[in-house]
Amino acid sequence: MNRIAALSLAILTSLVALPATAAEPVKIGVVTPLTGTYAPIGQQVRWGLELATREVNASGGILGRPVELIFEDEEANPAVATQKAEKLFQVTKVDFLTGTVNSGSTLAVGQLAERNNRLASTTVSFSDAITGDKCSPNVFRVNARAGQQSAALAEWLAKDKGAGTAIYYLGPDYEMGRNTVAAFKAAAEARKMKTVGEVFAPLGNNDYSPFFGQMRAAKPAVLYTSVAGNDTARLFTQLDEYGLRKNLLIIGASGTVTSQNMGALGKVADGYVTGVGYSPEIDSPENKKFLAAFRAAYKADPDLYGADSYGLIYFYKAAVEKAKSTDTDKVRTAMSGLKWMTPQGEKEMRAGDHQAVQDMYAVRVENGKFRIVSKVPGPQAVGPDTCTRF
Amino acid sequence: MGALADYAQFVLMPQMFNGLTIGIAVILMALGLTIIFGLLDVFNMAHGEFYALGAYLGVTLASRGVSFWLLLVLVPLLLLPAGFLVDRALIQRLFHQKERHMLTMLLTFGLAIVMEDLFKAAYGPNTLKPDSPLKGGTEVLGNFFPTYRLFLVGIGAFTIFAVWFIVNRTRFGAMVRAAALDRHMAASLGVPVRRVYSTTFAFGVALAGLSGVLLSPIYSVFPTMGKDFILMAFTAVILGGFGSIRGVVLGGLVLTQIQALSSLYVSPVWGDPIVFGIMVLVLFFRPQGIFGGRLGHA
Repeated sequence: MNRIAALSLAILTSLVALPATAAEPVKIGVVTPLTGTYAPIGQQVRWGLELATREVNASGGILGRPVELIFEDEEANPAVATQKAEKLFQVTKVDFLTGTVNSGSTLAVGQLAERNNRLASTTVSFSDAITGDKCSPNVFRVNARAGQQSAALAEWLAKDKGAGTAIYYLGPDYEMGRNTVAAFKAAAEARKMKTVGEVFAPLGNNDYSPFFGQMRAAKPAVLYTSVAGNDTARLFTQLDEYGLRKNLLIIGASGTVTSQNMGALGKVADGYVTGVGYSPEIDSPENKKFLAAFRAAYKADPDLYGADSYGLIYFYKAAVEKAKSTDTDKVRTAMSGLKWMTPQGEKEMRAGDHQAVQDMYAVRVENGKFRIVSKVPGPQAVGPDTCTRF
Repeated sequence: MGALADYAQFVLMPQMFNGLTIGIAVILMALGLTIIFGLLDVFNMAHGEFYALGAYLGVTLASRGVSFWLLLVLVPLLLLPAGFLVDRALIQRLFHQKERHMLTMLLTFGLAIVMEDLFKAAYGPNTLKPDSPLKGGTEVLGNFFPTYRLFLVGIGAFTIFAVWFIVNRTRFGAMVRAAALDRHMAASLGVPVRRVYSTTFAFGVALAGLSGVLLSPIYSVFPTMGKDFILMAFTAVILGGFGSIRGVVLGGLVLTQIQALSSLYVSPVWGDPIVFGIMVLVLFFRPQGIFGGRLGHA
């Protein structure tokens, strides 16, 4: 009898104790490309988020609650992204949403977040519009936008080459290509450098040689490009075969040459300079710790996407702990103007447009590795707040 | 004056060379088209897909260790029986119908769609990039040119000459021309017309396959690649005159030079509208093309 009483007591206590130790998790939905062209970017996003989540959970979670990541494949397609995001908001009831890569997906998911009264953040999308004329009170961007990357690169170029440098532009003919070219042109012309021509090639273009004619005639000292992925490999190889890389400095967007296509590029990537918000070379204790943990977990180097996604979890943790709640309005207030630590050092979430302010770097490819060649302090690179919605 | 010479040497010359490499590619495609049209009166809408088939066959064999140089012979040889079968099994069935033009065009168009989907199913939608067998550049008159493109111009010119030679200077060519001129008369004189038809179709298909192998190191291999050159090739055929080899060569060269030189002054993406604008004008004012006249007559 005694034994039965003891046993039932034990069962009872365990039943009562269970909800106390296993608190309701904080759910973060991740809508990111797990298949298709952008799958390598989605991979970095996933790695960064999972690494930070493991660390946070190991040290007690957020407000004592564990963090749970729920992944959905967006296929880098805004239409798919909104479906998956809707499901995460309505059915899974996530507290927060992140992961979108395609700038169009980020904008679409942002509108959805507003309708569902939830918060969302991108760790990848470049388009200036997301925290510019299409800004949303419910969307935060923890990574650097196209304008910040251009500022860092133009600053370095002006110092290295001087005023009057002749620049030629070659971009992919769609939203991102035209945006990045316009952003860098503005930054370069503001620093008294000269535009000698621009041309846009279709996305997925096979033969760039017809585009070289105007460039030869313009005799530029610098070529700025924002093509990406396989297009980069074709463009760089063809420039090399036509002997055009001699006496020509090639610079461009941070998505043009990444750790993903560096292998395919080989030697022709050497000398390429870009403006970026992260490099494994950043010499800080935070980055060294991050780098060691990332390499140990995945046997690969993080790129800007991995680092910014890792930093996002700490951003959300800091905001929720400051708000002492996951309530949308309270967390939004906490996020505005929030300063938090990331592998890149301290970032600040600007209250006016929800754009993270961070130090920016110009990096150059040397023997298949990015070397930092200059640094621009965050406030100098971020550019004016053009958001008028809140 | 120095600036002008400079412009000619370092801007015009490379651009014209580029136009020439693309011109060779277009002519190689258009040759097969024009021969098949000139003899059989069939617009082969699947010609581009046979070009893709050649490229995919090349990629597959190369992954089994077959050298690129051997592929240049092997792939056309493998496509000969394929072309022969397509003509016997599909095209000849409709050949004696009254609506022959429309029916064979629809038939080959359907074949093109099926082939494109088969490439997608077998190899996936992603682009394959065969390694260039000749890497790097070669200096010619102060300009660097990709060595492989120089090779392409050479072998392309040789192929074009060989086709001209076969059609105009061999016994088989004479039979082809006779059949094209008057198939009933040719048949009554002992020309095996049906076999000549199938062989000619196979020959055109093999040419498309050869182009596929030759162009794949530059333009990559992907399921919809057949659509890339086919419009330009059709335009060259229209400009040069249906069924004329001389016309196709001239048409291909003129069109691609216009494209190359215009892209110095307007964005290269405007090259296509310019070329197709020329095609429309030719159809208005000289529908028979520069060298109007059929294979047997020219």
